[in-house]
Amino acid sequence: MKEIAEKALLFDFYGPLLTDKQGKIWDLYYQRDYSLAEIAEQEGISRQAVHDLIKRTEKILEEYEQKLGLIDRFLHEREKLLLIQSLLDGVTKEDFVRDSAWERQQNINSSIREIITDTLGQEDDSSVLK
Amino acid sequence: MATSIRLHRMGAKKNPFYRLVVVDSATRRDGKPIEEIGYYDPTKKPHDIKVNEIKALDWLSKGAQPSDTVKSLFSQAGIMEKFHQSKN
Repeated sequence: MKEIAEKALLFDFYGPLLTDKQGKIWDLYYQRDYSLAEIAEQEGISRQAVHDLIKRTEKILEEYEQKLGLIDRFLHEREKLLLIQSLLDGVTKEDFVRDSAWERQQNINSSIREIITDTLGQEDDSSVLK
Repeated sequence: MATSIRLHRMGAKKNPFYRLVVVDSATRRDGKPIEEIGYYDPTKKPHDIKVNEIKALDWLSKGAQPSDTVKSLFSQAGIMEKFHQSKN
């Protein structure tokens, strides 16, 4: 089975650095789940050429990650932010003696939630496919 | 009409999410799916797979070809086993 979740992150972070051709084949294979044979037929190239191109592209993306480590950092931050989110969910008005303290906490809460949403990506259902 | 069952990437960047769709194999990239029969969310632990089993078995019996990835997901969900049993 294609390790699609892992590959999806590689493409989300470093995809814009690929050539149009590399990006298109990657999109068909990993985001639209076409088989090597189907891509070969559609693009008018051999199955082996599609396979080689995908392997080469994988190597390029993995090298970017080795050098820049953006995904590793993202996953680490996501774990921490999800923990913060669950801690925030547990805070209630009854935890505060003064209303002003509760309001301040609400402001802090909404700012942190904005950071969480920005960092983790939107929860909407829009397609990222071109 | 040759049909396939595939994953289709949805979701925002950094939040991969896939729909399980039935498509006409001849349809090019922008063709609309014939039907959506479930979803796969690999960001959840454990992975969240939801398949409309009745529809999946119906499409398989009509000869729709699952992609390797979908076949693997169907196997995990016990659908391939039910499909093979239904043929006997």
